[in-house]
Amino acid sequence: MKHKLILSIALALVLQGSLQAGGPWAKGKGKTYIKLSEWWTVFDTHYNDIGLLDPNVTTGIYNTSLYAELGLSNKFTATFNGALFSRNFMNNIRSGTTNDILIQGEALNSLGDIDIGLKYTFNQEARIPVALSVVLGLPTGIAGGGTQGNLQTGDGEFNQIVQLDFGSGFKVGNSDAYFAGYVGINNRTQGFSEEFRYGLEYGVGLANSKLWLTGKLTAVESFKNGDTGSSVTSTSIFANNSEFLALGLEANYYVTKTVGISAGFASAVRGEIIAAAPSYSVGVFLDIK
Amino acid sequence: MKNFIFFSTLLFILFTGCIEDDFIEDFVEPEISITNAIDTLGLDTEYQFNTRFLNNTGQQESVEVVWESSDPTVISITQSGLATAHSAGTVVIAVNTVDQSISDAIEVTVGEETVEVEEPASITGSIMTTTFYDLEGTFTLSETDTGLFLDIADDYVTTSALPGFYVYLSNNRNSISGAFEIGEVTVFRGAHSYEIDGVSLNDYNFIVYYCKPFNVKVGEAVLN
Repeated sequence: MKHKLILSIALALVLQGSLQAGGPWAKGKGKTYIKLSEWWTVFDTHYNDIGLLDPNVTTGIYNTSLYAELGLSNKFTATFNGALFSRNFMNNIRSGTTNDILIQGEALNSLGDIDIGLKYTFNQEARIPVALSVVLGLPTGIAGGGTQGNLQTGDGEFNQIVQLDFGSGFKVGNSDAYFAGYVGINNRTQGFSEEFRYGLEYGVGLANSKLWLTGKLTAVESFKNGDTGSSVTSTSIFANNSEFLALGLEANYYVTKTVGISAGFASAVRGEIIAAAPSYSVGVFLDIK
Repeated sequence: MKNFIFFSTLLFILFTGCIEDDFIEDFVEPEISITNAIDTLGLDTEYQFNTRFLNNTGQQESVEVVWESSDPTVISITQSGLATAHSAGTVVIAVNTVDQSISDAIEVTVGEETVEVEEPASITGSIMTTTFYDLEGTFTLSETDTGLFLDIADDYVTTSALPGFYVYLSNNRNSISGAFEIGEVTVFRGAHSYEIDGVSLNDYNFIVYYCKPFNVKVGEAVLN
């Protein structure tokens, strides 16, 4: 009975699992999840190379992203995660004395970077399913725009990520809940350092699982085996040797059986060469079960 | 599907980042200075004084000035700064802005021949970080017959983590507007030099280290 209960929760998470954009669960053959979201961060401080906060010109990044999962079989899931429209801007710098513009602000609008992936779930019905993913990060954004070459809608390099996902579903009172985690290696090109990535999340479904609340921990640790920051003109969230540990919250609400809305918030609690400001996201999703 | 399209359209409309303004505190006290001071003016000779005016953001500007001699019977001076020595004695030559708010003055003695004030041929000082990025060291800025040289000493160390890291000469410690770009920082530890063309030793008051992509000052040195 207990086993059946866990299995039923796991199956429920297969349907709902895409709420937290992945996890180890396979989407299921012919099933699709599409999420269109706006993600943004605006920051005037950053974590420097020793993790302390230093100022910078106010910089903003707005990504209108499409995330999609397509169940190719009961074990294979194809994923797409791309910034269909990315906007990076920097404020004008004005004299506090004369009000003259000293450095003209600029913006760069373009397609952002796109990740495409394939996930294989080994044991969908196990108590703790495990999946292996291969994600290719395509440098479709612009790595050096604007008159100074310091505006970016992508990192300009080809990422190859191998990731192991795991998770499990359970009950909290009468509510469905789950935890999921991942570890991964990002092999990078163009002199960028390789990265170790990991994350954990915990979600609980409320109101008959129409509302899912999720807490997330996401981290990137750089191997720092690439070029130094002085070798490239990277800023903002695309700089080389970046590291962070971020905590976030996300809420997803099913307006209908297939359409829902989401809102999220995350902020780095530790970082190096990375923006030091919260990021926000709002989105709509289509869950074809 | 209609709901999905509706909410999707709403996202595009509502969320767009706009370029706004960041302000920097770039006020400096305006200053006027006599750039070619002399100790002694030869009897019955003339000497043309020059000035430099830096406004309240450290930018060099041409302004109308008023020249004064404390005793025109010893040394007279025209409003274009041309001084003439008439008799023995010592006077104060002063230059003022028209509103008399900013001035500079030197003491000049009438003697056998004109003698310029001997300026030091070099300036030494310390580079200090103004952020949490590593940046420190001592330097010598020296003027020779072949040009101006900024020699950074062996005790210098800075970070290699910053992209677009440049060094400037500026008259405003908080701004590179109107500053002279010496070059990109490519040495992160130890002694090195920059050769600087078209600049004189006393043209600027500060060395400024600046990260261009982040548009932020990283460190500075005062040129006394």
